[in-house]
Amino acid sequence: MSRRPRFASLGRLLQDRRAGWLSLPAGIVAWEIAGRVSQFAFLPPFSAAVSAVWRMTWSGELPQSVAASLTALVVGYASAVCVGIPLGIVMGRYRRVDAFLDVYVTILIATPKLLFVPILFSLFGTSRLTQVIFIYLSAVVVITVNARSGVRGVDAASVEMARAFGATERQVLTRILLPGALPMIMAGVRMGMARAVRAMIMGDMLIALVGMGALLRKYGGRFDAASVFGLLLVIVGVALACTSTIRSVERRMTRWTEES
Amino acid sequence: MTTTDRTHRNLRIASIALLIVGWELAARALDSMFVPSFVETAAAFCRIVSTRPFWHAIGISHQAFVIGFGCALIAGTLLGLAMGRWRAVEAICDPYVNVLLATPISAVIPVIILAVGLNLPARALVVFLFAIAVIVVNTRAGLKTIEPALIDMARGFGATELQMWRTILIPGALPAMMAGCYLGLGRALTGMIAVELLLVAVGIGRMILDCQGMFAADMLYATVVFVAGEAVLLLSAVRWLEHRITPWNDQVAIE
Amino acid sequence: MITVRHVDKAFPARNGNAATLALHGVNLTIDTDEFVSVVGPSGCGKTTLLRMIAGLVLPDAGAIAIDGRPVTGPGPDRAVVFQQFSLLPWATVADNIAFGLELRGMPRDERLAIADDQIHAMGLRGFERHYPRQLSGGMQQRVGLARALAVNPAILLMDEPFASVDAQTRRTLQEDLRTLAERTRKTIVFVTHDIDEAVRLADRVVLLSPRPGQVVESLPVGLSRPRPEDLDQEPAAIQLKAYLWRQLRGMQQATSPKSRP
Repeated sequence: MSRRPRFASLGRLLQDRRAGWLSLPAGIVAWEIAGRVSQFAFLPPFSAAVSAVWRMTWSGELPQSVAASLTALVVGYASAVCVGIPLGIVMGRYRRVDAFLDVYVTILIATPKLLFVPILFSLFGTSRLTQVIFIYLSAVVVITVNARSGVRGVDAASVEMARAFGATERQVLTRILLPGALPMIMAGVRMGMARAVRAMIMGDMLIALVGMGALLRKYGGRFDAASVFGLLLVIVGVALACTSTIRSVERRMTRWTEES
Repeated sequence: MTTTDRTHRNLRIASIALLIVGWELAARALDSMFVPSFVETAAAFCRIVSTRPFWHAIGISHQAFVIGFGCALIAGTLLGLAMGRWRAVEAICDPYVNVLLATPISAVIPVIILAVGLNLPARALVVFLFAIAVIVVNTRAGLKTIEPALIDMARGFGATELQMWRTILIPGALPAMMAGCYLGLGRALTGMIAVELLLVAVGIGRMILDCQGMFAADMLYATVVFVAGEAVLLLSAVRWLEHRITPWNDQVAIE
Repeated sequence: MITVRHVDKAFPARNGNAATLALHGVNLTIDTDEFVSVVGPSGCGKTTLLRMIAGLVLPDAGAIAIDGRPVTGPGPDRAVVFQQFSLLPWATVADNIAFGLELRGMPRDERLAIADDQIHAMGLRGFERHYPRQLSGGMQQRVGLARALAVNPAILLMDEPFASVDAQTRRTLQEDLRTLAERTRKTIVFVTHDIDEAVRLADRVVLLSPRPGQVVESLPVGLSRPRPEDLDQEPAAIQLKAYLWRQLRGMQQATSPKSRP
């Protein structure tokens, strides 16, 4: 590109990826220093957060909470996957079903799922069931919509070809539509996990009052910043672990597709 | 209108009718003071929409929303463009963006309250954090989907860096940026309500909590319907804007 | 006049593959107003050579000069027509054609007037406000060509411009290009893998060897200007094409897996 010479080296520097390796470690170091040096009570050093996590682990408080949160997550998310994928496929394949259910899907897509929490309260009270339903709702919409998209996106010519070779409806579904829709289905499953995790924490804090989110509120209420940050680290770790698990499942299942 | 279209339209109408009737019947059967019927909700809706305290609460909530989302749009777009254009910026910021994208921001709310307090800046910051990650990620992706051939072509005609941005990079990334705006809007609305329900009882969140406290189920439902309706309207508006600004493309959004 | 002297170009190793030497010791001279076609087997580096003349890529060794001045980047004396058209999807045909002029800071009225001339010359009248996606491949490439011509370059660089277009449209475009070349004074460098097209259009055909590319031969096309109606019957054309095909086939056999020990 016709740049003036003195910017050329800046341009090369900006294109160098290697700075990335230092980024996260540098951030942690900066956090540690800031925590020790600053007067803000709310910013404990990184080491304080880590030792808070250690403490909570040994007292059993943290493992219990993680287990409680993850139980709700697994139940809610699994239900969403089991319902969302078939539902999305059916909606994608049969236009009438889609026309009928479209109203609910449109409302559910646009509305922040959080708004359903007061309604869920009124129906089911402040119980674990409410939290599981909340997680379910958060994930099921995006899974359904992506499955529907995936099925719709399958080339009509392929379906026609299968029919020409005498395929039954069931065979069309299993041999043409499902494999063809798989990339989008898995994308929906991945996005659903991210939403489920967020709903899990929100649900902890708002509904069930057990789990990691509840611990967060407890220590927040005590102004125990070290524990709060420590829990935050754990939550981020759990969130990353959940999403990368699904990502690797996704990668394995869509290995046959071209790299986009 | 073809027969199929007509059938579909009838199905949609039937669906809505089923929803309303089903709701009404179920509520009456349940006979719980926590679950209002459709009619009761509709009546409450008309009532609250004509009272000043309601709109006052809406206003308070939306202050945080507008400030937070506005800042997220600006900052998120700039960061996303920088990350898409310069690999060093991407390499440095990528770990943090990924963390931000994966983190449930509701978990960060207690920290923000500790740090900033229980006020408008705190709520705006929460809304900002809810929205920014998706905006950055989609904007960055938008730059990446621009065909390298187009950039080559512009270079061949002697485009400067500024011209490259103006004529190729921004227009090319625009569809994805709109997608990011769409997703960010939804997240921002969630953030607006989340912080109010969790810790800072003002605005809409306060109204909801009050309704729960007063056992005014019909007003509670009516408020929920109102905000849900607003969400549907705002998001449809963004969709419409997308079609107006970028009629040439339909991209799949990220997250 | 374009001079290419002892040019080397290598592409760095990626993903565990070794570095590729695309061009090695390329020497080539193209006279002003000459129509030169560059042909060769796949991967011989002909596109790379074109991009170096365009200034989009710099050689690792050797030098490329235009009228004595070394090439360090793109310039107003050259314009490129791309195989994949590279039109702006969000701009109309008129704005696409005026793009090069816009980048040079020409005011809107002026550049749209020039674009209008090109629209007329390229037979795009009626499509000024269309978007690329509404046009066929052939039409899109006409826009690409119009865009290049709008900036009035002395040198036109064409990278397999008709490869992405259907056979019938290709013939029409070739004829239009030929007419254009005869009418205007421009140096044209035309990269193609199609021997027939090369002989049909050019004054001289340059043959590159397989990777690393070198100039193997430079053959004048001894056909009259303007070209005779039915080129397929001209003995000079038949001979030249047959010769070039033989050369190409020989190159491909030499590098095919079966012939390796």
